[in-house]
Amino acid sequence: MKQTFLVKHAVGGRAFLDSAKQNVAYTVDPFGDGWKFTAKVPWSDRVEELLAHRTELNVFVFKEFDDRPTLKTWYYVGEGPVEYDPDRSELTIVAASRIEYDPHQYSV
Amino acid sequence: MINVFPAAERHSADLGWLRSFPSYSFGDYYDPNRTGFGVMRVCNDDYLAPGRGFGAHPHSDMEIVSIVLNGRIRHEDSLGNNVVSSFGEVQRMSAGSGVIHTEFNASDEEELRLLQLWFMPKERGTAPSYEASSFDVGKLHNVLLPVVSAQASERVAWIGQDLTIYLSRLGQGERIVHVTDPDRKLFLFAIEGSLRANGVSLGEGDTAQIERSGELELVAGPDAFLMLVDMPAQP
Repeated sequence: MKQTFLVKHAVGGRAFLDSAKQNVAYTVDPFGDGWKFTAKVPWSDRVEELLAHRTELNVFVFKEFDDRPTLKTWYYVGEGPVEYDPDRSELTIVAASRIEYDPHQYSV
Repeated sequence: MINVFPAAERHSADLGWLRSFPSYSFGDYYDPNRTGFGVMRVCNDDYLAPGRGFGAHPHSDMEIVSIVLNGRIRHEDSLGNNVVSSFGEVQRMSAGSGVIHTEFNASDEEELRLLQLWFMPKERGTAPSYEASSFDVGKLHNVLLPVVSAQASERVAWIGQDLTIYLSRLGQGERIVHVTDPDRKLFLFAIEGSLRANGVSLGEGDTAQIERSGELELVAGPDAFLMLVDMPAQP
């Protein structure tokens, strides 16, 4: 099973972080009523853009399997918080809720 | 103050199955000087090939309006809605705390043209909702017909922002005056034909951002079809 962590701009889908294209060590754990992502990423223009659009993020985890369709999980960030610790090169994103979906479950 | 953005200067994208003409930054098109106007974040003039469309994707905290200009659109979402709309119908989705949806050209033969409008909501984190409404096409002539508004009615879709979207068809030389609070913003789109807005000319496909203008006079050229959005400056 291949798992991808993806953070995109909600307006149009520009990718700010894509673990399939850059080496990103990350964890996602239950946090209060939601979930908390912790990712080790060096500071970059993309991280700066991500933080500038912290209230307009689409956060995904894609799980790709050999024997069944990809399962996508989208996380609702809402008010976050979304923060970056430069000393630890660590991005944290708190999500309030999530929706799991199979892209093929729809009729079209 | 009226700033006109000519159609010829709009960004365009051609993906084969989709030709898109966004008025503001969208996707890989990013212009820091064109990221929206007032509470409007997106105004895409999209042409979708028969049978093609946007696969399952999420939205949150955005008021999304689809106005069909030609053809038919099928919308399906995680709230259980599965609706086909054509010209004379409007789809409104308040994404709130999250919704997954698809949008496809429902026809296997005819191209779909639709305006996709995104607005920042008045309130974030609300329960998501969806509505398809229809307006009377026969009543578009020589009036500003509201089709989406915070003040909803039987044939006007509700939206979670203090704005109203009007459509209108005007014949040559016909004149309409729209009065609003000068602190509000107006967005004008000449969908077809040409017109003058407070004396400033707009050709087909041109858009205009209008500020600090409590009164807007629209005078049509031949067979003008226009959209006007009256909205607050900030959520």
